[in-house]
Amino acid sequence: MSRRGRLLGDAANWIVVLGALAFFLLPVIWIFLTSFKSQGEVFRYPPVFWPKQIDFRHYSEALGGAGGKALKDSLVVASGSTAISLLVGVPTAYSISRFRVGGQHLAFWILSIRMFPPVASAIPFFLLFQKFHMLDTHSALIIAYLTFNVPFVVWFVKGFFDDLPRDLEEAALVDGATRWRAFTGIAVRLAVPGIVTSALLAFVFSWNEFLLALFLTRSQVRTLPVALANLVGGHEILWGEIGALTVIAIIPVVVLALVLQRYVVRGLTFGAVKG
Amino acid sequence: MRTTKSRHAGAGAAALVARVQRRSRAPLFAWLMVLPAVAVLLAVTVYPLIYSLRESFYRLELTYSPIPHWVGLQNYVDAFTNDPRFWPALGRSLYLVGFGVAIELVLGFALALALNRLGRPRTLVTALLLVPVMIAPVAVAIEGVVVFNESWGPLNYLLSLIGLNGPIWLGNRTVALKTILLADIWQWTPFVAIIVAAGLRTLPGEVYEAAAVDGASRWQTFRTLTLPLLQPLLIVTVLIRAMDIFKTFDTIFVMTGGGPGSATETASFYTYLQGLRFFSFGYAAAISYIQLIVISVAATILVRRIRKGLG
Repeated sequence: MSRRGRLLGDAANWIVVLGALAFFLLPVIWIFLTSFKSQGEVFRYPPVFWPKQIDFRHYSEALGGAGGKALKDSLVVASGSTAISLLVGVPTAYSISRFRVGGQHLAFWILSIRMFPPVASAIPFFLLFQKFHMLDTHSALIIAYLTFNVPFVVWFVKGFFDDLPRDLEEAALVDGATRWRAFTGIAVRLAVPGIVTSALLAFVFSWNEFLLALFLTRSQVRTLPVALANLVGGHEILWGEIGALTVIAIIPVVVLALVLQRYVVRGLTFGAVKG
Repeated sequence: MRTTKSRHAGAGAAALVARVQRRSRAPLFAWLMVLPAVAVLLAVTVYPLIYSLRESFYRLELTYSPIPHWVGLQNYVDAFTNDPRFWPALGRSLYLVGFGVAIELVLGFALALALNRLGRPRTLVTALLLVPVMIAPVAVAIEGVVVFNESWGPLNYLLSLIGLNGPIWLGNRTVALKTILLADIWQWTPFVAIIVAAGLRTLPGEVYEAAAVDGASRWQTFRTLTLPLLQPLLIVTVLIRAMDIFKTFDTIFVMTGGGPGSATETASFYTYLQGLRFFSFGYAAAISYIQLIVISVAATILVRRIRKGLG
């Protein structure tokens, strides 16, 4: 290809990429701008792009109202479920990686649970938690979210243990360390980047979850997605406040997307794509 | 007497442990490490599964009577023969799966080719494209409600600038399901693009050089080399997307509430209605089992694919 043709091709390629970025990012930017608009500006036609006044009034309103409680509930549920998933998931990942415990059956049984449709477990969870008077509690959601978080942590962290050399652990065992010491003192320490990444992604999955939260909570506990859905379904829809709460819900996730991009695809494809 | 019996039981347990260990060649320590996770997973999956299977053989309608009564397979029979809303709902789910997967694959492929032509900026562009993928579907739905609003939303205004009259995206029976589809395409096309781009980068360059020497056209190379080489990866991507689209719930709940009428009522949304709005738990359990079977088929194929390895 001639140099000119190549330059033209590059330019065309950039037009495609920038067009795609505009398509995929403008709705997010629009919501961000909406969070600063007054109710009047939201309903104006033609639509107002830049709000007249940039202040954080809607953010304080959102956090002062139902949003603050929702933020707290989301934090509690997501961290609780992530912590338990790590606690039971990391040793399992290690055991499957090093000892092939349970052969392929155990590993793939765990993987298949990750694909479980939430709507199929929502009704039984509802009836079950009702029986134990656990509806509308943090624990109910923390337990329900283990369905997807434990399999995720096991598979994701297993991939990291697979990549670690065994020599160090074996040397420690020869020196008289217990297997548990070799696991906590060496393997876990070396796999910290993978474990932290899995924790952050498990946190995001719980943070974003809506269906189970809708089924299993009412008024005592209300995570951010449920609070947002409630605000949209309300009588008077305060778009500035909704915009602000949406931004609060997506900001941590956006930051993580930028930081973890290498691992996100690996996480979302059950480790099938190393990316 | 009692001591010998317990000693017997102890010996039996020890023999069992020894047998399990011999068969798996994994030390007891390894089994102890997986025990908590296996217990947790059994509790959160097998227990609800059995519970809801039992439930699906009962008629339990809290609005009608608090006492469940056994109806056998009647709930399943009703779903297939006696419910005018279930089949159309399942049909809408399959409509979303079919068109969603096809469109995301084509657009994702195109975007992947463009991504791989970028030099160093590729990392940054990829990270930015992950934003829709990672944010909560409820947040996507809220963007949808604002962007698609027919009187003050920005989309119809932009369309009017180029002389197009935008439809009533969410309030029109014939358009609403397509709008839900569009929201899914918006959120997940970047995901497909990033996977395909990663896959394309692993393809061996020599084969392409050989093809070029042989004078193969671009389309021929694509059809006879790229597609077959990427096939395993594409199948995994298609299955993951198909299962996730089939489960779509959040965007429908927020953007249309299943409406207008029942125009966006999918199988998972209809299950929600039966369970949490109409409180027909037995029936809701039965139709969620039907969906579980549909998803399990896809999941089994997917797991088999991953098991065989991607190469």
